Amino acid sequence: MIDIFTILLSHGLILLAAWKLLFRDDLDHEDAAIIEASRPWLKDRAPADAGEEPAADA
Amino acid sequence: MRDLVLLAFIGAILALGFRRPFIWVLLYIYVDIVSPQEIGWGIITSLHLSLVTFIAAFAGYVVLDSKHNSRFTLRQALIVALLAWCGYTTLGAAFQDSAWEKWTWVWKSMFFAAFLPLTLRTRLRLESAVLVFALAIGAIAINGGIKTVFGGGGYGTLTLLVDDNSGIYEGSIISTAAIATIPLVLFLARRGSLFPPGRAVWLFCAALIFSCLLIPIGTNARTGLVCIAVLGVLLMRQVRHRFAFAALAGAAMLVALPFLPQEFTERMGTITGFRGDESASTRIEVWKWTYEYAKEHPLGGGFDAYRANSFTYQLAEVSGAGNNRRISYSQVTDSARAYHSSYFEMLGEQGWPGLALWLALHGLGLWQMERIRRREAPRRADRDVWMHDLATALQHAQLIFLVGAAFVGIAYQSFMFLLIAMQCALWSQWRLRRKAPGRPAAAQMPDDTRPAPRSAINPV
Repeated sequence: MIDIFTILLSHGLILLAAWKLLFRDDLDHEDAAIIEASRPWLKDRAPADAGEEPAADA
Repeated sequence: MRDLVLLAFIGAILALGFRRPFIWVLLYIYVDIVSPQEIGWGIITSLHLSLVTFIAAFAGYVVLDSKHNSRFTLRQALIVALLAWCGYTTLGAAFQDSAWEKWTWVWKSMFFAAFLPLTLRTRLRLESAVLVFALAIGAIAINGGIKTVFGGGGYGTLTLLVDDNSGIYEGSIISTAAIATIPLVLFLARRGSLFPPGRAVWLFCAALIFSCLLIPIGTNARTGLVCIAVLGVLLMRQVRHRFAFAALAGAAMLVALPFLPQEFTERMGTITGFRGDESASTRIEVWKWTYEYAKEHPLGGGFDAYRANSFTYQLAEVSGAGNNRRISYSQVTDSARAYHSSYFEMLGEQGWPGLALWLALHGLGLWQMERIRRREAPRRADRDVWMHDLATALQHAQLIFLVGAAFVGIAYQSFMFLLIAMQCALWSQWRLRRKAPGRPAAAQMPDDTRPAPRSAINPV
């Protein structure tokens, strides 16, 4: 019982982390993190829409 | 049930790796530490999981991954040199059968440690490697922690995920590994971006740290208690209010004492009285023997050279109590006793050249992490707090390992080589950031104006 609980908890978290990694561009390119951090409002936008957004500080 | 869960997990991670091949590298880190093929009972035990994930990680990088910002550092060269030296001593090992058996897992640990930094070329990759490392050790620590709370501990009897007191599941080794992981858990709790700091993350990390602290109690490993003391001293470097921390730690220990199992307190009481303890007496004798052996065999005797040892010594036995206390000495003869120290393990097996390489590997690591810590210290306006905190965590983990290693033969343990690999990757990334402004990645923006990556701007 304890073994199963431990396995489910730790392995579930590793799996969740791996799943999250799929959607992080900065996994492969460091620069992606810089762009994401400096302009987070662009994160989910297509490049064409980006210019229409009001500017704001990160 | 266990087999199904583990196989489903490995299958899912393998599948995710087709989209991001780096995930296979993380899978190998997990397999290397946890050994799921030993946890299960059925089909999983017959699978060559280690080999499959090793090939996936390696091929994934070579064939599918970008090599941008991958660097081969001096310490990786030292690992390769140590690997080559171990191969050479194995060829002429005194005990060929056991030497080749040990070689089969040692070369993988070292090769992977030399390879891993090449793949850890972004901050997120490094963070995810630290995360999987901590969760993999955490899987064993949480299991042991819960069992200890429910009274399942004892020297050599605490059954962890694997019912086998060997490898990382051996009491002293998991104690050292678990305590060495605590600085990394603290780093993830403060600077993690995959699981950003928050109430749930802090709660989990606190529980994980508590579990890690319980492992030396559950396994009754004296090395673990020494490691906890080292951790306490190291944390004093980090905390803002040192006196308050020391007072709280002291108070916590006083409160915890009555709850500790009697077997544990009795065993810990033998730390200072080594003369009356066979295990401790043996250590001293083995270390003496190894030193003499290295004089005769300066190039080492190959893996498991300790099998050649045999010595007789006086063991003090105390009987009676109070005024009737009597000390009698008996002669004990021991043979083929393990080194009980990584330093002597290296000296006996790899001789002076091997020990020198191993010490250089560690010494250089401590120095590199210290350089990063100083350059990114709080007084620097353009500091990179993420790199500072990770360097601190990796340095503390290594120091705890190095102290624990004085009492346990863990010179080639893969968890230590993984720590070294993560240090190499951090050093490489830091050098790119600070030392080579002409490179494209660093040249996009000057350091002072460059916004910190998302992982570095999380609230503390």
